[in-house]
Amino acid sequence: MPTAPHAAAPRGRTPSPRQRGRRWGEHGLAWAFLLPSLVVFALFIGYPLGRTLYLSAHANDLFGAPSKYVGLKHYTDLLSSADFADTLLTTALFTLLTVVPGVLGALVLVLLLENRIRGVRLLRSAFALPFAFSVASASVVFAVFYNPASGVLNGLLSQVGLGPIGWLTDSRYALVSVAATTVWMNLGYNVLVLSAGIGSIPTEIVEAARLDGASGLRLARSITVPMLGPNLFFLTVVSTVHSLQSFGQIHILTKGGPDSSTKTLVYSVYEKAFAYGSSDFGRASAQAVVLLLVVLACTAVQFGVLERKVHYA
Amino acid sequence: MKKSARALAALLVAGLSLTAVTACSSSGSDSGSGAADGAPGAQALDQASGVTTVEFWHSMTGKNADVLNGLVSQFNAAHQGKIEVKAQFQGKYDELVTKYKAAVQQKGTPALVQVYDIGTRFMIDSQQTVPAQAFADKDGYSLDDLDANIRNYYSAGGKLVSMPFNSSMPLLYLNDDAFKEAGLDPAQAPKDLAGLGELAKKLTKKDADGKTVRYGFGAAIYGWFVEQLLAESGTMYCDNDNGRTSKAGKVVFDSDKGAEIVQWWADLVKGGYAANTGRNTDDAQAAFKAGTVAMHLESTGVLRGYKEAAKFEVGTAAFPKTSAADQGGPVIGGASLWISGPGHSDAEKRAAWEFEKFVTSPEQQAAWHTGTGYFPVNKKSLDDPKDKEWVAKYPQFQTAIDQLKATKPTPATAGCLLGVMPQARKGVETAIEQTIAGTKPAKQALADAAKEIQPAIESYNSSVG
Repeated sequence: MPTAPHAAAPRGRTPSPRQRGRRWGEHGLAWAFLLPSLVVFALFIGYPLGRTLYLSAHANDLFGAPSKYVGLKHYTDLLSSADFADTLLTTALFTLLTVVPGVLGALVLVLLLENRIRGVRLLRSAFALPFAFSVASASVVFAVFYNPASGVLNGLLSQVGLGPIGWLTDSRYALVSVAATTVWMNLGYNVLVLSAGIGSIPTEIVEAARLDGASGLRLARSITVPMLGPNLFFLTVVSTVHSLQSFGQIHILTKGGPDSSTKTLVYSVYEKAFAYGSSDFGRASAQAVVLLLVVLACTAVQFGVLERKVHYA
Repeated sequence: MKKSARALAALLVAGLSLTAVTACSSSGSDSGSGAADGAPGAQALDQASGVTTVEFWHSMTGKNADVLNGLVSQFNAAHQGKIEVKAQFQGKYDELVTKYKAAVQQKGTPALVQVYDIGTRFMIDSQQTVPAQAFADKDGYSLDDLDANIRNYYSAGGKLVSMPFNSSMPLLYLNDDAFKEAGLDPAQAPKDLAGLGELAKKLTKKDADGKTVRYGFGAAIYGWFVEQLLAESGTMYCDNDNGRTSKAGKVVFDSDKGAEIVQWWADLVKGGYAANTGRNTDDAQAAFKAGTVAMHLESTGVLRGYKEAAKFEVGTAAFPKTSAADQGGPVIGGASLWISGPGHSDAEKRAAWEFEKFVTSPEQQAAWHTGTGYFPVNKKSLDDPKDKEWVAKYPQFQTAIDQLKATKPTPATAGCLLGVMPQARKGVETAIEQTIAGTKPAKQALADAAKEIQPAIESYNSSVG
């Protein structure tokens, strides 16, 4: 999990003269403490970023080593490629299909779990369980479900006289199938975060609302969901980034096919760089930079638009 | 302050997405040239002290890996204290080539590497290997025992560049029990695409509810089969006589013949007579083994595995022709063994050559043939008593031999020699998918695939000069 970009910035205070005097010393100390993480940051984020930019401006030799400078050619090629436009569209669709159901689904589950029914603890653990699955094992299990001949899904369909559907082999269904797998995998983490969020809602607020006669939907709409705002916001940001970077399930389930219908930006980067013996690190890097910009833009929009509506208790 | 902290957080989160690509593309600059030096003589190994280790990368899995590992331990036992071959599985053929490219950059190539047929052009251009011919010439070792078709495939300029090892052709696999159940004779296998289509309709079985319980035909969406069918019809896949007279500059698979083949396939799927299990060959193989498809295309290399896994009688027949008039034959697929030059000691090269000679000897190739289904690259293997006995007992293994003998070496049956062949193959696979989905007619889909591969061909050709 990436570190939570939780916006708990310190409140501004006017420094007293004595504090101002100590400021330099404090700053120096702060930088000293920051140094180890800055080194790590430079090494594992800064260097790869620089390297990617460098590679994206170079053509490759037979083995994938940068050979000659081509400037922005890889980027202009991307702009004029219909194939790349399709990839961006697929990426956007995939993100929508995973983030919206993933966050809303988890919210509904968590709200339902608020009802004091027997075995709620068991259910809560059960819903958080997908978090414990690795991408690879979950994908393999879903591949078995989706199998056109022996899969359980087509088995159920045939019971009601429908199908068979080529879940992963029909370009109309493949993206939805992969997205559904991803939603299931993300659900565990989402449920966990929202459960924790609900647990930290002050009981006096809920009790006050109950005394005022609120219950059920009304309580959820006016108290629980608004109080979960920071958690929902956090989940939306993290799921979006996560979803834009999804690779394992696509690789295992469809390899970007059929007919490129599940080829997202990350998968396209992989194909250019590593698949089919292509070793085209230049074009792959250019796409990786585009991916960076897309993630950046999404995150910026979410911080700029969504966060304004979040209420921090 | 708060704003920049947010921006930093966002940058950090986003930046993680980049680490993956760069971390894997190492920074080597010198791509190593001046290879193809001569082969060392036998004394290189005699003078070497201690055990010479040969790192051997391969792509064999399942039953085939077991047989290969058996050959390796036999070789090691025979050369104890002198040579040790360390066989390492490096993923499927495509993945192995990707790893090999990285190894070239890092100057850490294995001494011996198994590369698939369509990687041949790349391996020649890489200039990282010592041709098998150089060793044979040095030793006066005769290569005449090698099958002529196979030798032809792995030769460039009349010289053998790599040692053929696991050679295969595609076959038409039959579920004999399904044939009998449908009142058909499995000995009367379809000979061409039209015949196959007819039979597929008869062999497709539906249950009372109208659900298909068995498809007449089913094969992976694998570009290799289209390459084979084009070769059967004598049609070129790329220009300049399949890149054999001079370097190929473009693919020409978007011919009428190509479109006819792809359309035929798509129509069978659309009509409900062929199962569409996608690109993954494992899935198509599983469908055949489970008995859910009656006719199936696959390599000879899976025959032994099928025999052991299937609960029905597995039949084999010659790979279909596109029409009765076809004069060609299938391309020899499979893979060959390459000995690395730069960065390896003479003793290592020599030890790798010893291993190549060992695994292509009549006896070992007979063991390989009967153990896997790949046909023997050594002609004498077929005279081996064990091999004869095996083929007499399981006539399915004879089909591939007959098919190979019937194939005349021509540019069409030699297959296309193209540096970016794996990408071309992928393009054809996409075209098949598009035709099945009905988004494009076959001809258009193939033409688009050809257009899309063109920049890759040009940049490849310009990078090798």
